Amino acid sequence: MTADQAVDLVITGVTLGAVYAVMALGLSFIYGITKIFNYAHGAFFTWGAYIAYMLSTGYLHLPYALVVVITVPTMFLFGLGYEKAFMYPLRRFPRWDMTAIIVTLGSALLLDNLALVLFGSRGKRIPYLVDGSFTVGGSVITKHEMVTLLVALSLVFLLILFLGKVREGMAMQGVAQDMIGARMVGIPINRIFSYAFAIAAGLAGISAILLAPKILVYPTVGWLVFVKAFVIMVFGGVGSIKGTAVAAFILAMVEAFVTFFVGGIWGMPIFVLVLVIMLTIRPRGLFGTW
Amino acid sequence: MVVKMSKKPALLLSVLLVLGLLPIALQGNARILNILSACLMWGVVASAWDLSIGYAHVWSFGHIAFFVIGGYTGALGVMYLGIPPAAAIPLGGVAAAIIGLLIALPCLRLHGIYIAMVTFGIHLVMPTFILWGRDYTYGATGLTGFAPLQLGQYTFSSSVPFFSYYVIFGVSILLLFIIQRVINSSIGLAFMALRDSEPFAKTLGVDEYKYKLIVFGISAFMAGLMGGLYTSFYATISPFVLEVSTFLMVLIMLMLGGLGRFPGAVIGAFVITGLSEALRPLLLLRFVILGAIVIAVMIAMPEGLMAIPEKVRSFIRRTFGRGDVEKEERKG
Repeated sequence: MTADQAVDLVITGVTLGAVYAVMALGLSFIYGITKIFNYAHGAFFTWGAYIAYMLSTGYLHLPYALVVVITVPTMFLFGLGYEKAFMYPLRRFPRWDMTAIIVTLGSALLLDNLALVLFGSRGKRIPYLVDGSFTVGGSVITKHEMVTLLVALSLVFLLILFLGKVREGMAMQGVAQDMIGARMVGIPINRIFSYAFAIAAGLAGISAILLAPKILVYPTVGWLVFVKAFVIMVFGGVGSIKGTAVAAFILAMVEAFVTFFVGGIWGMPIFVLVLVIMLTIRPRGLFGTW
Repeated sequence: MVVKMSKKPALLLSVLLVLGLLPIALQGNARILNILSACLMWGVVASAWDLSIGYAHVWSFGHIAFFVIGGYTGALGVMYLGIPPAAAIPLGGVAAAIIGLLIALPCLRLHGIYIAMVTFGIHLVMPTFILWGRDYTYGATGLTGFAPLQLGQYTFSSSVPFFSYYVIFGVSILLLFIIQRVINSSIGLAFMALRDSEPFAKTLGVDEYKYKLIVFGISAFMAGLMGGLYTSFYATISPFVLEVSTFLMVLIMLMLGGLGRFPGAVIGAFVITGLSEALRPLLLLRFVILGAIVIAVMIAMPEGLMAIPEKVRSFIRRTFGRGDVEKEERKG
């Protein structure tokens, strides 16, 4: 392995990590705040990718800046509507958290297969955010990869800022820590839940725009990303933004190197092995508090 | 709730009688018999899963992997080691139980979603190992052509539905009976105590680690055994079973029936398998409709199908009852 190859691998790892971080943050956001494990998060990703596809290469051929500007808010609203339509009515009942899980399972089944019915099982291609690349030393970095990294890092930064400084963000942290206590001090739980789903769906949409150009879009593409986001969320510690981001970069780096040295099919077993070792040492993940 | 169910021998007996006599009534209608067989098999898998999730609150996501491990162990044993099929099926259960106990070890200190991830880990690594051993497992194509289970002149296979139904019926009822016994035993009580309040159960001397190992052992064994039976019945096993759809469907069966409400998972299996077969003519659209039905049912009846009788009873009491309404409501 030459130095150039090593640099290439690090670049691959870092950009993959950036995308995984955005996806895992969404999942962790929902679980951390609402305690609902959102099985439909992969489907959110898939639909984000299909919306981008419909707006770009599929039907409308809009300029890509416009695609981004439409896709992300659409996903945001989708998450908001999803929570209002499917999650809100469940909270009338005492054991709603269990019921919520099966509703997300059902909607994953619905959304995945709706995509299959509408778009077929053949992979679709969507364009890169920006074309072109530049060379550093002996290795090539595409501009898309640079943008991916910048977007991911700024999102992590913004989310930490949002949770720490903005009123709604602080309310979210309150709900995450103690739902009943938060309700008692007058935090509107229902609104916070909607925001959490909306932000998470928006993040899924962003990660779809970032990752989908590098892989094809097909109806079960979301599961692939969802599973990795799940591992990352647990590895980093549920509910910790910093932990999730760090975990995403560690695991993506592991994936890049494993793929290079032992072949792609061993990526998942080593992912899981790293996770099990991690949890043996720290049962609540890297930065987890509960 | 569960104890109440077991005190209804008449209902239980009539259900068993109906299930036992159906094949004769259907005069060996192959398609329907095979669907019923599938319902029973998935019912057991979902119930074994319920033992873990619903009763012990151990969020294992590895049960489909245990099922597949059982299937592959049985099939590989018959093919390469010459084990008689009748022994290979329980062997599949044993293999799954061993893997289950191994995966339980890192889970002992973990809780909730962390257990889910670790157990889901085996599910995720299965395809890699199947592909890696493709000289024996034939990779993604799956295994076929191993010797079927023979009992006298009869072959256990989906092409001999009448006989096979009774084999599955017998095994399933036996396993469901065992599950019911476990739930009502001191083990089940310990599971529920740990589920309802772990700190309190621990202060009473309930050994958390021991019962976690027990629940993993039992439920993985049953899932593996069913995997062996399933493989033998359809004479094939492939990584296709590890697809997301199987995982989703079995989990939906379990949750639709009602988590921690014992025969609920079986009822869920019958409803979901039945619906899925009934909607088959709609091709791809059937999963969309199935998903919509699941969402609608859960929003309308969040406690699962098993809660319906309770709901109906309390409705009748509220509507037609007299002064005892308040007392009843306070109890519930």
